[in-house]
Order: sequence, then C-alpha cells, then structure tokens
Amino acid sequence: MDSQKQTWIISLGDTSGFDVNVVGGKAASLAKMISIGICVPPGFCLAVSAYRQFLASSNLSAVIQMELGKKPLSKMRWEEIWDAALRIRSAFLRAPVPPEIVKAVNEALLHLNPQHPLVVRSSGLGEDSINRSFAGLHESIINVQGKKSVLRAIQTVWASLWSDAALLYRRELSLDPLQSGMAIVVQEMVSAQKSGVAFSRDPRNQSLDREIVEAVPGPCSNLVDGFLEPDRWILKHSSGEIIEWHAGKRNTAPDDIPLLSEHDLRRLHAKLGQVEELFERPPDIEWAEQDGKLSVLQARSITSGLPDPQADERRWYLTLRPKFAQLRQLAEKVSGRLIPELERLGKQLAEEDIESQDDHCLADCINARLSTLKYWREVYKKEFIPLAHGVRYLGAYYNDTLQPKDPYEFLFLLDGIDFLATHRNTALQKLAQQVQQNCSLRKKLNESATICHSMTSWNNYKKEIASIQGGPEFLAAFEQFLVTFMDIAYNGERLAGQPSSLLYLIYQLAATSNNEPATQKKNGKAKAQMLEQLLIKAVGRRREQEAKEVIAIGRLSWRLRDDDNILLGRIESQFLRALLLGADRLRAAGRLTGKPPVEKSAALVVQALQDSTLAPVHLDEHEPEPTQRHSQTADKPRQLIGQPASPGLADGSARVVNGVKDFLNFQRGEILVCESIQPTMTQLVPLASAIVERRGGMLIHGAIIARELGIPCVNGISNATNVICDGDYLSVDGHLGIVTFGIPDFELEDHVFSQKK
Amino acid sequence: MTEEPALGADFVSEDILSQEHEESLPLRIRQLVNSQPFAVLCTHGNQHPYGSVVAFSMTEDLAVAVFATPVTTRKFQLLSQSDRVALLIDNRCQHLDNMMHVEAVTATGQAKRVEEEKNHEYWKRLLTTRHEYLSSFVQSPTVALFRIQIARYFHVMRFQEVRQWTPKNKPG
Repeated sequence: MDSQKQTWIISLGDTSGFDVNVVGGKAASLAKMISIGICVPPGFCLAVSAYRQFLASSNLSAVIQMELGKKPLSKMRWEEIWDAALRIRSAFLRAPVPPEIVKAVNEALLHLNPQHPLVVRSSGLGEDSINRSFAGLHESIINVQGKKSVLRAIQTVWASLWSDAALLYRRELSLDPLQSGMAIVVQEMVSAQKSGVAFSRDPRNQSLDREIVEAVPGPCSNLVDGFLEPDRWILKHSSGEIIEWHAGKRNTAPDDIPLLSEHDLRRLHAKLGQVEELFERPPDIEWAEQDGKLSVLQARSITSGLPDPQADERRWYLTLRPKFAQLRQLAEKVSGRLIPELERLGKQLAEEDIESQDDHCLADCINARLSTLKYWREVYKKEFIPLAHGVRYLGAYYNDTLQPKDPYEFLFLLDGIDFLATHRNTALQKLAQQVQQNCSLRKKLNESATICHSMTSWNNYKKEIASIQGGPEFLAAFEQFLVTFMDIAYNGERLAGQPSSLLYLIYQLAATSNNEPATQKKNGKAKAQMLEQLLIKAVGRRREQEAKEVIAIGRLSWRLRDDDNILLGRIESQFLRALLLGADRLRAAGRLTGKPPVEKSAALVVQALQDSTLAPVHLDEHEPEPTQRHSQTADKPRQLIGQPASPGLADGSARVVNGVKDFLNFQRGEILVCESIQPTMTQLVPLASAIVERRGGMLIHGAIIARELGIPCVNGISNATNVICDGDYLSVDGHLGIVTFGIPDFELEDHVFSQKK
Repeated sequence: MTEEPALGADFVSEDILSQEHEESLPLRIRQLVNSQPFAVLCTHGNQHPYGSVVAFSMTEDLAVAVFATPVTTRKFQLLSQSDRVALLIDNRCQHLDNMMHVEAVTATGQAKRVEEEKNHEYWKRLLTTRHEYLSSFVQSPTVALFRIQIARYFHVMRFQEVRQWTPKNKPG
C-alpha cells in the first residue's frame, strides 16, 4: 500500500524521477522550473496511475467503450460527441474514488497551507508538449476548499480528458483517446494583486524579435475566463525594451495608467529568458504577483509546427467551451440586438411591394435579398450557434452541482418555454380543430392531396372551400396563418407557396387532434420550478445569483436556437419570393424554361431580368443525392445503430422527407426519416409514429420535439436517408437507438432452398 | 483400417494432459464458462436454425444461464416460436495456433423469458454483475431477459474427446 501511495502522490518539489509519463506534461514542467529555483506555488501531483486505478475500480472503461465504441469517432458529429462526453462526465462524477486514493490525497493535503484555497489542474499525457498544446481543453478548477471539494475537482478534471473539445482535438491529431491518461496538479492559489500571461515570442510570428506580456488586476482567471480585457505590452525579445502598450479595460482601477511598471516588465522579461533557457524553446507562462513576489503558475512551449495560427484547430475546439462571461455578452447581443433586427427585417421585406417593380429594380431586389440572406447566415454561424452553448453550459453546471442519475435531467428546466414554432403549431392545431368539427370541410380537405400546384387550380379549389358552410371563415383563418407563420423556407422552398400541402397536413392533424400536450406543459412547468429550486439550494446563497443567471442564459439560448431558424427561414422565404417572381416574369415572356430557380441559379435570373436581349435561360433540375436501393442488392442493412434520443418503440412504413413536396406525401402513422427535423417543419411531427434522423444528439430539434410528444426517436444514423427508402417497413426502438428493417423472417432461406430441391 | 491418432495430439505437453485428467468435469466446465463472457446462442423456428453471440452469465451451480436481447431481433422471434436452445462456449480465440488446446461446451436447455414479477431483479443482477456495461441496456423496456435451464453439457477437448455432464436442476 505504501509503495502505491508513493506512486500516486509526488510533491512538486520532489524532482527526482519526474517522468512525464507518470506525472503528465504540466507537472513535469513545474518540477523542472522548481529545480532551477523559479518560484512555483507549493503543491503535489496525483500521478497518472491514480487515474488508471480510478478507471479500473469503477469500471469506467466499459462506460467509455459503450459511449465511444458504437460508432467510429470520425463519423460522430460534434453534438453526438458532446452527448457522449456529458454521459462520461456524469459517470466520472458519480463513480466512487478508491479509498486508498482518497487517503493518499487527504494525507498530501496536510502538507499544504489549510488557509489557502487550492487550484486543481490537469496534467495530461502529451499535454503542453512541443507540438501539441492542450491548453484550455482540459479543466482547471480554482478556489477549491475542503477535502471533499478537492476530490470532486479531481474527478471533474479527470473527466475533462473525455470532454467534447478534448475528444475532437485528439481526433484531429489522430490520437487514440483510450490510450490517454491524466495526472493532476493540486497547488495553493496565489492571492494575486496582478497576474497574466507572457509569451517569449509573438505566437503569430515567432521569427520576430518580440515578446508579449498581458496583465490584469487580481487572479489570472480574470484574463483566461475573459472577465477583463488585459493591458498588453510588446517588448523586444532581445533587449526587453518596450515597443508598445495597449491599455486594457478594467472594472475599478483607472485604465489610463499601465498596470505594470518598467521594473515589473524587466522582471517578467528576465523570467521568460530563464524559462526559455530551461526548456530550450520559446515558452509562454502564466504568472501571478503577490506582495512583490513573482510566481510562475504554469509554463509550456509555444506550440511550434503551426506557422499559420489559423491552422491551430484547437482555437475552434476551444470555442466549444465558452466561458460564462462570453456567453453573457453574447446573450445580450443576440437577444437585445440581433434577433429583434432579424425579426424586423423579415416583416419589412414581406411588406415591400416588389410586384410593382420593373425588371431592373426586381433584379436589384433579388441581389440585395440574397446578400442579406448570406449576411444573416454568417451571423447565424458566428453569433447564434455559439449561443447554443448556453444550454450546454447549464447542463454541465447542473450536473456538476447535483450529480443526477439522469445526465439529461437539466432539460426539465427548459420546459414551458414559448418558441415561435410552438405558437405556429398551436395555430395549426386550432385550424385542425375547425376542420374536425366540420364534416363537409373535412371531406373537401381530403381532396387537397390531389390539387395541382398551379395558381388556377388553387384558386378554383379555394372557391370550392368557400362555398361550404364555415368555409369562408376557415379560409380567412388559414390565409392569416400562412402570412403569420408560413412565410418561411424549408430546403430552398417557400412553405407559403405550397398551400395545398399545408391543407392536407391540417386534414391529417384533424384526425389526431387532442389536448394532451397542454397537460404535459403544465406538469413540465411545475417540475422545472422544482428543479430550479433544487439547484439554487444546492449551490448555496453565495452563488444563488450565479445559478439564476446560468438558468436564464440556458433558457434564452434554448429558445433562440429554435426561433433564429424560423426568423432566418423568413429572410430566405422573402428572397425566394423575389426570385420566383422574377422567374415567373421571364417564363411568361418565353425567356425562361426548365425547373423553378433555386439560390444557385439566382444569378442567371438576375442577368436575364437586367438584359432583355440575352438568350432564353434553361434551368436544369437539381440532381438529388442517389438513394442506395438495397432491395436488389446482396448487401442489405438489417439493423442500424444510432442514438436513443426519445424513448418508445414503434413500427411502420418509412417516409423520407427531403423537401416540401414530401410533406404532402406524408401519411399519418408513417416513420419520418430525414436529415434533421428543423423548426420550419416540426408541424409534421405529430403525424409521425417515430423519427429517424441522420444528425445526432439529445439536444437537437427532432429529439426535443419527439420527447415532448412521446414519439420514439433514433438519431445519428449517418446513412439513414441513403439506405432507408419510402415504404420500407421499420421498427424504431427509441430506448436502445436501434432501427430494424422489416419483420424477422426466413423467406429468403425458404426461397433459396426450395429452388435447390 | 488403422485408427489414426487425433491430429496434433503429439504436440500437447504431458504436463497439460495430466493436469486435465486430474480436474473434475464440472470444474473444467466452470473454469471455461467463467473465462468466457460471450457465447453463441443457437435457436430455431419453422425448420430454420440461427446463431447469435450473446453476453451471458451463469449461476454458481451451472444449472441456469441468463442473457438479454431486444424484442425486435430475430433470436427473440425464434425464441417465442421454440424455447429449445443450445449455448456454445469455447476458448478457440486463445488457441489459434493449437487446436488441441481448444476447449468447448455445448449446453442444451430450455429458454424462458423472465417475467417482471418473478425474480427479475435477481436475474438482471446476475447478468449485469458480470457485464456491468449492460446495466442500462437491460433496463430498457424493449429488452427481454431470458434464463436457460441447462439440461446437459457436452464438453469437448483435444479435438474429439467428448464428455457429458448434467447439472442438478432445481425445480422452477
């Protein structure tokens, strides 16, 4: 036992035999610095062997294998990796730490000052090496106090070896995560008056004679977590001479006076030189100053082999773990400015009278609307998608605090949120109820499946509806519904342009209409309130405000991620409105033939509108991705494995939905197979008996709505829309994440052997 | 016609052979069963045979084996047609270079679905104690837990040496 303890705990000052494979990269660097007298806060290292012992004793390897073995990591989308990482983290936090490790850690803590809060950092294998920097990808926990909290922090840091960002980065570098391991560094925290980071070269261009120093008042977390914008100096690497100073943004201290004196900068320059000589490579260091004493908190080589900083994929993976301060800023920007602007723009474009514009103006209008659409797509990528992490932040926060058995329990906190899609679906249900109560209307709407999409047929059909008792009222409500909710695009098509398919949908919904969701909603709200109270109580009064803010941002990000899709769909719909109008004019003048235009052919339509002398344009049909018809081949799938995203078991006929025309074909009770359920198509879901999606994840739209409606859903089947064909008989097991083709039979064997007789 | 010796018999060391004879058959079966977490489950129905790999666990007296399967599978469908099954457990992957060291048992028996109320928890625990990673799998309402009452074991070693053993079956 003693010999094991020796292996698990190593004092940072004990430099003998500090093998990087035993203590990880960070601890090895700290020990090296201590060996030449650099001031490093006191602490100890919990060796990689303790991590391995923890894994073995709690059977966590099996959990990891089950999570990551069902599908090659290379084929998992980020959302699926995030889900797997969440479940692994949850298992790590719930698994008991072996008593011998607990004892060793507690004994090691006796050697540290009990008055000082601690920092628990990762020291992974391969971390902070010359070619690979895992900086920021693994967890560091500050202000840890008390034995229990230290152990909890150690478990959290161990789990961060399996975070989504760390897994993706390892995938990028072709490193096998199963071969990885992690040591832990536990150190006393420095109660810093000033702190920061310093680079002995400019990381953007290491060949320049430059050093960079950044400083913030207080602890370094103020800088790393983005709470404060640091003061920044550029020094000459060769002499330490100051070249530039940029003032940061501080909350209290005046920011027109440099935070560091020339003396401070000289000391940091000297320290960088000392560390560089030791590492024999340019380093970056994290430093802190307390009562004039300069400590180095960590040091690593500035990652080489990355001449182009844009090539450092770690930067992108780091965005997967946004800091709370960043989320808060983003939430304010998105909800306060961007979403209202997008909403206003959608309405404004819808109100514009483009029909009376001449061809030249219409061409300009198409171009302008396309530019607007592209601009907002960029905003979506850069601002809206990162905000989606708010809900994931809430999930991690909730699980870290309460360690629930179900790692998705936090989703109950999101119940009862009003989405734009919910308003639309409620309006749709109301229309369905109108139809349900009117037998003649129901009969008439049954014909909508066969109505041709031409304007004349539609107008005639409308007249027929209007002649039925209650028909005019229904039509008025329906047309209002089209304007309010359906001026959106799905897969490059305007939903408002397909009224007959929507009528058929209403007809089918009329047969299923019920009030159950309202009851569910009420219960959901009560549970959300209960869990909110539970979380607030668990974090304690000191962090109550923080917990409330995390919940609020989680809810906001949850709502906006649904609404932003619909609002962007409106902009696309308005672009398509202008494009289709242009195409109709050209077609009427005999200058356009072929299929209706899509975004890619907009330039051709614009050119033709601008120049009436151009030859007629012919638009070819866009070739859809071919489906692998398995019925005639020897290699047929029998069972597909995905993520169990909503529990339940259902079987039925498959309907692959790729575009608006498939909405019309969709029959009640069919299994909806698609790339992913988008907020612009959730109205279809109540008709489905189950959902199968290519895109995977527990927090994607399809999974959420399926759980809300109690429909089984399996997602993350990357070839679902290729191998499943319309009419295939499927069993969808949402408990296990399995989709099975057909009913088990031996018809083939019977056929083969009867032929041989 | 001359009786030929079993292929490869000459290459088995004396030590191993003498050791093998010293051990009782139930002990050998137990050792083999304990060393192999997976078995091939043989089912049939309407004259069609079928085989599937299953994770299994065995009671201490080797009288009952337990495994689980989703209800959408072919083996589940066949089990509902015929409860007569065989379970093949072997160590061939450990002796790819010497067939004489391969040991196998074929257990024949009757499979019964464990109903929720009848000691379900006990049988579930028997399976998940050995296969902890199946814990959430067996919780699924779409997974059926089966126990096989073993009638007889056929033990094969050294290519053709076959012995039988009947466990003491308790009623129920």
